[in-house]
Amino acid sequence: MSALTKDRWRNRKAGDSLAGYLFMAPTILIAGVFLILPIAYAIALAFQKVQLLGDVSYQFTGLKNFVRIAQDDRVWIALKNTASYVAIVVPIQTMLALTLALILNSQIKGRSWFRVAFFLPTVTSSAVLTLIFMWIYNSNGLLNGVLSFLHLPTYNWLGDPNVALKGIMIMNIWSTAPLFMVIYLAALQDIPETLYEAATLDGASRWEKFLHITIPFLKPVTFFVIVMGIIGTFQLFDQSYIFSAGSGGPNDSTLTIVLLIYQYAFKNLDMGYALALTLMLAAILMTSTIIQRTLFKEERLD
Amino acid sequence: MKIGLKKSGLGSLILAAIALVGCLKQVTRSPSQNAFKQEESPVTITLSGWQSNPNEKQLLKQVIQAFEAKNPDINVKYEVVNSEYMDVIKTRLIGDVAPDVFYLDALEAPLLMQYNVLEPLDSYITPAFNLADFESSMLNAFKHNGKLYGLPKDFSTLALIYNKKTFAAVGITQPPQTWDQLIAVSKKLTIDQNNDQKTDQYGFGLAPELARQVFVLKAFGGQLMGQNAYATFADTKSLKGLQLVIDQYRRDRTSAQPTDVGATSGSEMLGQGKVAMTIEGTWAIPYFKETFPELDFATAEVPTINGKSGTMAFTVAYVMNRKTKHKKAAWKLIAYLTGAEGMNAWAKQGLALPTRRSVLARLGYNQSPLYAPFAKGAKYATIWQAGKNLPTVRMNFNNQFISALLGEQTLPQAMKKAQDTANREIYLGN
Amino acid sequence: MKSLRWSTSLLYIVLIAYTVITLLPFAWALSASFKSLAEISAGGLSLLPKQLTLANYQTIFVQEPLFGRWLMNSAIAAISVTLLNLLFNSMAGYALARIQFPGNQLWFFLILAVLMVPGQITLLPKFLILKSLGWLNTYQGLIVPSAVNATFIFMMRQFFVNFPKELEEAAALDGLGRFGTFFQIVLPLAKPALAAQTIFVFMGSWNEFLMPLVILSDPEMFTLPLGLNAFKGQYISYWNYIMAASMIFTLPALAVYAFFNRYFIQGVAFTGGKG
Repeated sequence: MSALTKDRWRNRKAGDSLAGYLFMAPTILIAGVFLILPIAYAIALAFQKVQLLGDVSYQFTGLKNFVRIAQDDRVWIALKNTASYVAIVVPIQTMLALTLALILNSQIKGRSWFRVAFFLPTVTSSAVLTLIFMWIYNSNGLLNGVLSFLHLPTYNWLGDPNVALKGIMIMNIWSTAPLFMVIYLAALQDIPETLYEAATLDGASRWEKFLHITIPFLKPVTFFVIVMGIIGTFQLFDQSYIFSAGSGGPNDSTLTIVLLIYQYAFKNLDMGYALALTLMLAAILMTSTIIQRTLFKEERLD
Repeated sequence: MKIGLKKSGLGSLILAAIALVGCLKQVTRSPSQNAFKQEESPVTITLSGWQSNPNEKQLLKQVIQAFEAKNPDINVKYEVVNSEYMDVIKTRLIGDVAPDVFYLDALEAPLLMQYNVLEPLDSYITPAFNLADFESSMLNAFKHNGKLYGLPKDFSTLALIYNKKTFAAVGITQPPQTWDQLIAVSKKLTIDQNNDQKTDQYGFGLAPELARQVFVLKAFGGQLMGQNAYATFADTKSLKGLQLVIDQYRRDRTSAQPTDVGATSGSEMLGQGKVAMTIEGTWAIPYFKETFPELDFATAEVPTINGKSGTMAFTVAYVMNRKTKHKKAAWKLIAYLTGAEGMNAWAKQGLALPTRRSVLARLGYNQSPLYAPFAKGAKYATIWQAGKNLPTVRMNFNNQFISALLGEQTLPQAMKKAQDTANREIYLGN
Repeated sequence: MKSLRWSTSLLYIVLIAYTVITLLPFAWALSASFKSLAEISAGGLSLLPKQLTLANYQTIFVQEPLFGRWLMNSAIAAISVTLLNLLFNSMAGYALARIQFPGNQLWFFLILAVLMVPGQITLLPKFLILKSLGWLNTYQGLIVPSAVNATFIFMMRQFFVNFPKELEEAAALDGLGRFGTFFQIVLPLAKPALAAQTIFVFMGSWNEFLMPLVILSDPEMFTLPLGLNAFKGQYISYWNYIMAASMIFTLPALAVYAFFNRYFIQGVAFTGGKG
């Protein structure tokens, strides 16, 4: 910015504020009404005991809903399931996505075909995918067929609580990794070739180039991938719902936090409590994002 | 749609999109808004339900057309909700855009009746309507505080369905009539055909959900819910009944769940030959005829437990939205659909039994060898309904019952856990 | 690349194995869509139908008179949403990443906060808002709430964070204002990110189910997933119809992806080594 004179700098600053808001205007308007307003409504309801059906009534209850969370066993089970799910799925899917992107960004023959094939699970809606997987995970289905062909142990993927969640994990990694692979691929396009050329001239090895050019450049995108990965897995619902027909069973083994929220909101019509749980979830996610933000120190704007 | 157009290209595309949306707004005003602008007649009312199979929609449309022919001043818009039916209905009720007439399952009825969103039908019923013709237990499922809120359109009970061929193969000619007989017969019917240590056919196909087990826990005098709407299914009497199911699965190894054998329902297990008997509803009959036409099956009443007959009944009613603007028209539709003529047309498909005794007799379900056990069950069936807390109770029961089935906990432990959790949620939710 | 031959071969083997694993479920689903329910229920894992039947597709296309209408509704919604998102999300992402304006951090925080709340929760309030606007059963009800997307605002921001400042400064020296810089310099260079956004937003809108389920009651306004869901059945799963419907459903989204995939290829010559 040193090239500009002081006057132009001041004008630019004022113009910037206006420009900033003009750029943001559609987002502020639409997101304000359709995203932020509903959330504000939800927050308000979390502090109340509310009846929305029939004779509508609101009753302020303060922190009662939140106290209830502490005593509710199923909340802790759901959190534990969700946390172990996140801890396993996010690292694996991030690394898989990055690996696939790097491989498919290179001079491999047929990479276009590979890219299309790999992306197929992502392009399919999760509902359809889960249905397909219900069939594959069938005790007599494809997966057990392949396993027994390879003389590996077979499982009752759908009925055994110990494996049900793992089955969902596998399905999820397989279907979400390609999504992040595409994002990594896009990001890899933006790394200037000149940097690599200069490094080659300096005698850097491939590994050194990777460590010192590729990885740092991918930092902002990796921040995105991991944050979205965590948010996505924490909000796991579709697969868990279809798998267990909405119950979270067998024996709460596939109960995720959003499924629990959904059960309270729509099955029991206990809106206030469901929204208190939602706030708790949002708080967890916000905290984790802030932690990551400090880990992934970004370049500040000048 | 190429990205990377120059600014003008992209910009004009955006403007085009916005203009398109704006135009469409004019074109697609929802029909009901238009109808509202016209005179009072013809009146348009909306009917919502789910469909159990693709053929159902056609059949219902035919019945509706017959109604419209008789009532030229009423137009019926049939809107199917095929996923999350109750969630959608509840959401629409909250938003005041619910249909005028809609299906309501007995299970879900208590909640809606309590929240006062349904129109009581007593004042509309005339003697000519012949309310007494209805199976009274089905009617009672839709009564609340002495008022009737829905008219049941059909029902299904559970009956024993068995594979005649497999029975004959081990020399059994009669289906079991008591539960002890069922256990004994299952042992004979559990076969490892090729001696590979894996059972190829189980005696009995089991559905480990509360919806199918309530009559079992009542057999020795247990109760699902107590007087004050709390769950009581973990008491010793209920456990005695449920233990029979657990024992057959764990100790005898003569029964199987659908997931054990790679099926998704009891009917499928029987059709695929994975089990020799199962307890299913009337919907299984058209299913077998269509999907497993070679299956040689027969039906019988559910075997008695502890000397008592028992089975489950599932029923769905037509109800009227209390906030409908066309109460008379809505009533006419309900009256037709649940009248003798409408019900007769509907019940022909054999998916469920008609709730009017006269129609039941006229269509011959009482005599039909396949349907008779289902029809007989109506007299002693437990209706799948238990107040507005049933969904909570069901979820907890199903969750823990499987755990007991798998041997992770003993039955008393599992049921106590389920009952306590359910009751706590009920308490806190109030 | 001067990699050892065995490591390249190993790579190919791994890639092909992964491809097979990925394609197998879809191959199965595709073959199931040509089978009768009886054949599917009888069990067995054959990839080739014993009796190939077109009846499933016939039922869906022919018996369902509204099929064409549903397809059109889905297309209109998905295309409009994608175009609007591309414009609005990129603008917002750029502003958050490159323009210093008061409240920049606050808005970024709000965008992130929006992401934390699962969609099932905002379903009911959104429904009530749409209802009060009179937008139930309308195209604008389907399109406008989804016209911006917090996830992709976030993504575009991350992409623009690394954007070379020199280009912006050069544009400023040339006399281009912020808007000019954005539309003429920045956006054309963000093609890969825009391509990625196109794919995802289109897919998201195409596959969207819960919101349309709740706000659309008029069958003429249904989107494709909603309409095709009719074939599920209450007590029994009609796998044959479900699979046929799933195939019909997935193919357009796959086509969009295959088309936009080319924007990732052009980068290969650009970046050189895979690192």
